Amino acid sequence: MNSIDDFVTLIRDDLGLDVDMTDVDRPLDQVAGWDSLHLIALLTRLEHSTGHSLSLPAALEASSLRGLYDVAVTG
Amino acid sequence: MSTAAVPTDEPAPTGTGEPGPTDTTTPAPAPTTPADELLALHRSGRLATEYPRLKTLLAQLDEDRSARAAQLLARVDPDEVLRAHPSLPALTVAITGHGTLSALVPALALEGARHGIVLRTVVSDFDSYVFDLADPGSALHAASPDLVLCLLDPMVVRDELPAPWRPEDVEAVLAEKTALLEGLVSRFAGSGSGTLVLNTLPLPRDLVAQLVDHRSRARLGVLWREANIRLLRLAETRPELVVLDLDPIAGEGVEVTDARLSVYAKAHLSPRMLSRYAREAGHLARLAAGQTKKCLAVDLDQTLWGGVLGDDGPEGIEVGDGPRGAAFAAFQKVVGQLASQGVLLAAVSKNDLGPVRDVLANRTEMALREEDFVRLAVNWRPKHENLAELAADLNLAVDSVVFADDSAYECGLVRRELPGVAVVQLDEEPARHIGKLLRDGWFDTRELTTEDRARPALYRSEAERKDFLHTFDSLQDYLRELGVRVEIGPVADADVPRVSQLTLRTNQFNLTTRRLQPAEVRALAEGPATQVLAVRSGDRFGDNGLVGAVFLRREGSTVHIDNFLLSCRVFARGIEQAALTTVLSRARADGAHEVVGHYRESAKNAKVQDFYPANGFARTGGAGDVGERPDEREDEQPDAHTSERPGEQPDASANVRTFRHDLAGIPPLPDHLQLTDTSEGHTP
Repeated sequence: MNSIDDFVTLIRDDLGLDVDMTDVDRPLDQVAGWDSLHLIALLTRLEHSTGHSLSLPAALEASSLRGLYDVAVTG
Repeated sequence: MSTAAVPTDEPAPTGTGEPGPTDTTTPAPAPTTPADELLALHRSGRLATEYPRLKTLLAQLDEDRSARAAQLLARVDPDEVLRAHPSLPALTVAITGHGTLSALVPALALEGARHGIVLRTVVSDFDSYVFDLADPGSALHAASPDLVLCLLDPMVVRDELPAPWRPEDVEAVLAEKTALLEGLVSRFAGSGSGTLVLNTLPLPRDLVAQLVDHRSRARLGVLWREANIRLLRLAETRPELVVLDLDPIAGEGVEVTDARLSVYAKAHLSPRMLSRYAREAGHLARLAAGQTKKCLAVDLDQTLWGGVLGDDGPEGIEVGDGPRGAAFAAFQKVVGQLASQGVLLAAVSKNDLGPVRDVLANRTEMALREEDFVRLAVNWRPKHENLAELAADLNLAVDSVVFADDSAYECGLVRRELPGVAVVQLDEEPARHIGKLLRDGWFDTRELTTEDRARPALYRSEAERKDFLHTFDSLQDYLRELGVRVEIGPVADADVPRVSQLTLRTNQFNLTTRRLQPAEVRALAEGPATQVLAVRSGDRFGDNGLVGAVFLRREGSTVHIDNFLLSCRVFARGIEQAALTTVLSRARADGAHEVVGHYRESAKNAKVQDFYPANGFARTGGAGDVGERPDEREDEQPDAHTSERPGEQPDASANVRTFRHDLAGIPPLPDHLQLTDTSEGHTP
């Protein structure tokens, strides 16, 4: 995953959520279909593919997809 | 590799395989993986409309890809599926329990799609199971669920322990919780519908290890298990209740809890444990939908025993003795165990029936006997035809059959032609056969009756022993998708040992059964008037390697096919026709006027006696019909590496038939395969 575009594609293809780049700065509670289950599945997926551990508390505090992406790339 | 003990006919093709050498004139379509297909369906919004197809795709995904597919399937609207497919079975599943439960939804969506059942899931609020089950007016009851999954986890107890705690505190909480659950089960029975599913609580190691003395640890172990026993005992008297025992799943190494998910998300069972739980629940859904499996159809070679019966002989196959033989025997016992509980056992195998019956009767190490099978569908027809006929014969829907085979080819064929059949794909490691067969609870039932146990005997009438003609028309579409590729060319020096091995071990597709040592193969390959062609094949499942050989000899304007061999593992995929067509074409190009093929009858090669006439050759008859070159080695003793017994070595009295092709109408290449001819322009 090299960019936020890749991140959005991953959410579309791995979580099945119909999101695009216009959603990345939206508050998570306004992203259609999003719930905390997706956060867990997403982090599991990212850890599996990157091989390193991510901070779940930091991810839980993220307020947008971009915030989650930052957690994902910075660990 | 030792050639003495290891069966050398082709193992089942495995893996995805890399494309081999290809003929650029007929490029195969790029293989699409099942995961790619699923993603494409998701992206185009067609998962709902294509729902019945999903089970075939999902059956081919590994655990990781299945977990990803589960997320996509959780987005599929059950109503949309039912609008497109109103006849599909549909169930409502209520999910309640302790902690955050929504992670079970994708796992259940996956299982529903695997089984072709539309599952509407209703998830209760956080930690509301007591209210849900006890109150007849709860949203859970209002949904009239067919299945109620009440997920319990060790935190049910841990959450209520004082700090610090002692075993007596655990005992008190366990007593309270089991009494509560007993009461809830009673209330549910009075007001609920459908099946209630509880589960045991695996004992967390990090709870045990908080106690420093072994006496207290032992005490905790006793108390904890007594509580689980109380839960399991509930199912003895409550027909509406199922209690899933999670300990055996944990015992397989599936982690019960993911610490971070438990702490941060209050999801107290790990994703892998939830997916395993969902797999069990999926089979309960099958039961609720009336989709039960009744028949287990097993392959024989490399499935029930090691080796290839047709080549290795009844005494040469591996069962009972040796490490692999022991693994096959253990698998047979498990198959027999299922059969003892009412599962109808059938053999579906490409073999001649006689040797199979010989093995079942006379190999003392066999755990299974002919009387354990309700049918022996042992012949050379495509397996999906045999399965369909078997089901009709037993008066069952073909969807009630589970099929287990080590061959990726056969599994792929059955999945494609009979998508309702559950396919258990085994591989070359027999020690894993048991785990693969039991991975899914295909034959799970709520309770076994006396009639169930007696069922196989009712079906065990004398099986019909039909010797079928080869009717492979229905295979054409499958073969086209399979992307069969064939490469034919002169044997290289490095191929000589393998070609020799084929002549020594191949018995069925062996037109004259001439056994040749490597030096003899080399001499024929280098001879002025002789040539040896090697046949290689592969398909989308992988590379089959060197699977056949053709021995040619030029005599004036005549090309003799002194022998033609093919591993029976790749028989009937058009490879033999492609090889023969190549020989005919090259002979004509090189100025020959005829090609003469020989067939010498042996104890095991009856199925290829019509190979030449079926491919445009005419029987010559007369004096030329016997005493041809193929007989010249008739007095040779069997090779030490073969399983041939003395009586089976070709002898002078063997019936030799000769067939002639005038090279006028050469049959076309089968259009489903790609041929690469590396003969480089000469026949001998």
